[in-house]
Amino acid sequence: MMKRNLILTLFIGAAALAPAAHGQAVDTSEWACEYCPFEDGNRADFELGAMNVSEDSAYFGDATGYDEEGAYAIVDGNGSYANEGYRLSWVAEDLAYDSRAIELEGASPGSFDFNLAYRELPRRQFNTTATVFEQTAGDALSLPSSWVRAGLTSGMTELDSSLVASNIESDRSVFDLGAGFILADRWRISADYRRHEREGSRIGGGASFSQSSLLPMPFDYVTDEVDFGIRYGADNGFVALAWYLSDFGNDNAALTWEQPYSFDPAIGNDTYALAQAPDSRFQQMSLQAGYSFTEQKTVLSVSAAIGEIEQDNSFLPYTITSSIASSPLPRASLDGSIDTTNFAVAVTSKIFSKARIKLRYRYDERDNQTAQDLWNRVIVDTFASTDMEMNLPYSFERSTLNLSADYDLFDTVRVSAGYDRKEVDRDYQEVASQTEDSGWGRLRWRPTPALELDIRGGASERDIDSYNEVFAATLDQNPLMRKYNLAYRFREFGDVSLSFSGEKFSVTLNALLAEDTYNQSQLGILSGEELRVAADLSWTISEKASAYLTAGLEDMESEQAGSEIFFTPDWHAMHDDDFTTIGAGFRVRDIAEKVDLHFDYIRSDGTSVITVDSAVGGPSEFPELTSVLDYLRFGLSYQQSERFELNLNLRYQRFEAEDWALEGVAPATIPQVLSLGAQPYDDDVFIVGIGFRYRIGADTE
Amino acid sequence: MIQMKLFIRTVSIAALLIVAMQSAGAQDADYSRKGADTCLACHDTEKVLALFRGKHAVPSDPRGPFGHGQLQCEACHGPGDTHAGRVRRGQERTPIAVIFGADSDTPIEEQNGACLNCHKSDVGFSWHTGAHPSDEVACADCHSSHTATDAVQQTSTQPEVCFNCHQMQRSETRKAFAHPILEGKMDCMGCHNMHGDSVAAQLARANVNDTCQQCHAEKRGPYLWEHAPVSEDCGLCHAPHGSSHPGMLTKRAPLLCQSCHSQSGHPSVSQDADGLAAGMPSQFLLGQSCTNCHSQVHGSNHPSGSKLMR
Repeated sequence: MMKRNLILTLFIGAAALAPAAHGQAVDTSEWACEYCPFEDGNRADFELGAMNVSEDSAYFGDATGYDEEGAYAIVDGNGSYANEGYRLSWVAEDLAYDSRAIELEGASPGSFDFNLAYRELPRRQFNTTATVFEQTAGDALSLPSSWVRAGLTSGMTELDSSLVASNIESDRSVFDLGAGFILADRWRISADYRRHEREGSRIGGGASFSQSSLLPMPFDYVTDEVDFGIRYGADNGFVALAWYLSDFGNDNAALTWEQPYSFDPAIGNDTYALAQAPDSRFQQMSLQAGYSFTEQKTVLSVSAAIGEIEQDNSFLPYTITSSIASSPLPRASLDGSIDTTNFAVAVTSKIFSKARIKLRYRYDERDNQTAQDLWNRVIVDTFASTDMEMNLPYSFERSTLNLSADYDLFDTVRVSAGYDRKEVDRDYQEVASQTEDSGWGRLRWRPTPALELDIRGGASERDIDSYNEVFAATLDQNPLMRKYNLAYRFREFGDVSLSFSGEKFSVTLNALLAEDTYNQSQLGILSGEELRVAADLSWTISEKASAYLTAGLEDMESEQAGSEIFFTPDWHAMHDDDFTTIGAGFRVRDIAEKVDLHFDYIRSDGTSVITVDSAVGGPSEFPELTSVLDYLRFGLSYQQSERFELNLNLRYQRFEAEDWALEGVAPATIPQVLSLGAQPYDDDVFIVGIGFRYRIGADTE
Repeated sequence: MIQMKLFIRTVSIAALLIVAMQSAGAQDADYSRKGADTCLACHDTEKVLALFRGKHAVPSDPRGPFGHGQLQCEACHGPGDTHAGRVRRGQERTPIAVIFGADSDTPIEEQNGACLNCHKSDVGFSWHTGAHPSDEVACADCHSSHTATDAVQQTSTQPEVCFNCHQMQRSETRKAFAHPILEGKMDCMGCHNMHGDSVAAQLARANVNDTCQQCHAEKRGPYLWEHAPVSEDCGLCHAPHGSSHPGMLTKRAPLLCQSCHSQSGHPSVSQDADGLAAGMPSQFLLGQSCTNCHSQVHGSNHPSGSKLMR
């Protein structure tokens, strides 16, 4: 019944938009287009070559696939085919690496189009890691038979001899098939199917009694996504209905591992288990519609979506340690379900020639219907807890109202002002109801189309009904803690943008400053400050040569407080992130009508300073966390003939990090954590590639 | 049920609000006599002719500018008869009605109107209420029609087009830990709908989490034991455009976790530099910090996973 209503409504909407025939009063009978060089036939570029990578590098192999030292083939290409009725284009990239991609698009313009693609994306996280665990199945890790357990890592006598290099890496492949049809003049129907497969390992902590092991956790995920849509579009309105499905599956519902520590033998079992990401399914039905009144002077847009997320994986037992007596589970699987609702309506109107107003309302709801029960956990497969705990299915409702107005004070000056209100209601959290009111003003000065100055400033106040300290106590929280996303906050913000776009030069400068104070918080975040500046300069040297310069700067600081004595604050910490980046490059083409050159250089420096001052330990400053990225690329193309081109590519890439969380942390460094020994990146790669490009098709005939 | 009723009501309201439209026919005044042939007699540069390698110049597309009976170059640039007419000595040629580009004198609304004449329903009407038209962004600021391939529609080249205005986001993508945008393997459109406005930050799906979970579906749950910020907004802990911290986290653990967790015992204990590898190596600080043990930080489906350790 409801489906019928939906379809009926869609057609009513479509009928309301029903077009008059598109009038065509111009006499084009003599418009022969004799000089029009329409595409016809094949054209394609094929590139073959070789590339050498100087060093192993997980950092630069991430996403690119050239993570190992040595030679790689270059196999690329692209092409197109066109005839009177059909068009086809294809691209093949990086076929010899693990980041290969093949894409095909085709169309009978005005009737249908389709796309077919296969892409791979390698994730290379660490190549400095080693483990004592051996993967005996997709969901099981075991210790070597010679392993000698100990209470601390320093006592693990077989550790060094048992370590085996184990890169933390995975591969994602995406298959994509889509098509669209124009059913009638204004109707379009489209469908797209994508399958993501991800397989590999990630670092996961496996906790024991008071120790832990960092595990090379294997995973094997498949996600199927479908987008289906039908759309009706007219000159002054449109209606679109869409269905989205995301179906996630995990081949490894659990991970079992043999824990490497020694405990009281009475506990018995030395194999533990944790649950991996459960299979889930998300479906969403959405509708969008828009209508423009009076020559687009007033435009209304509406969108609405309802969705459901389901998850019903069978539970693991409280523990797989058979010697520990545990209660029966309240139920065998989650039977989890979340309803989602999203709604948005916006209207903008040019109320008179110099003024425009805009009103927007958005609503976003997550209604977690998952049943609650009392659970009696077994703590890290070791002890049965004496407490019963209830699961908390979090739900929220979030709505935002934005009102703004623009007024053209003069031909070159526009002033704007706006008011935003956000309301959030949450279940099972310390704050049930939160509001945020913001006001802002803006001035834009545009004396010429080429020059613009834009200044904006405002303030917002996030308030709460009350911070429920009684509820916080049920979560064992210090009653003075104010979680930063729930706490009262006052924010002041401003940004300025200046841009000039001339015939030869264009310059843009942006700066943003925001300051947060959480002046009702004693514990948690107390204040934050954010400063960002970015600038671009581009220079058109000639018709064939151009250069650019980019720069960015960020400074982000925050202060927070904690309490070791579980009362008033007795420690404070400052977290200061600084970041600068600069980029420069140039392009020159057709040197002697044969040679193209390009050069790009990027340098990025990140520095984080953390200081802690506690009543117990006194002031303490951590060593700087730093990251330095150099990325230099030079390319030269020599066009030997219309068909042949020689390409030379040189790349130098360096990434060096100082990270005290990893620096010098060997597998046995932390007494209670058997780690994988991952080290900070210190990668330095030089890449030389030579390719020959062969061109066929229209231009070369 | 209430949800479905709300949805149906919304759909109905949308339909009822829309009333019959009026179609404006093309004006016959001032169009050139020979269409594109008139234009190409002068404008025959490589840049102009590249149009014929793209999707706009397909004679078999009845809806395209070069389809049968369509207005060819003048479909976008407006009537050209006056511009193409004879010019007396010393007199300046009248410019064509619609010129695209940053240095054009054609009002942006008019430039965009030329594109929207055909692409209204492709773009969607929420374009009009979004930030781009408010900021007077022209279609031609991002799109190039006189090319075989529009840079903003290619994954490897799209981010640079967006970064022309969104420079701070460019800076962020150059941080130590970022999505593979610098490598040309991901584009802005993977997460953002540049023509939309129905979702904050012009996201591609209905909210932040739905957008992230397109690729990170394993984080979706629902879990038996949820982590409240994860169920609400990935951006509470992660900086999606890039971060100096692993995992694109907004700050370092344990301080990030201690922004919310104050339980007695180790969660509330300050961790200082004495806990580094050269001192008394701390399991709360080094390696994966809090997630050395609480590894299921996105949620746990294990009956014993309430502390996100299973």
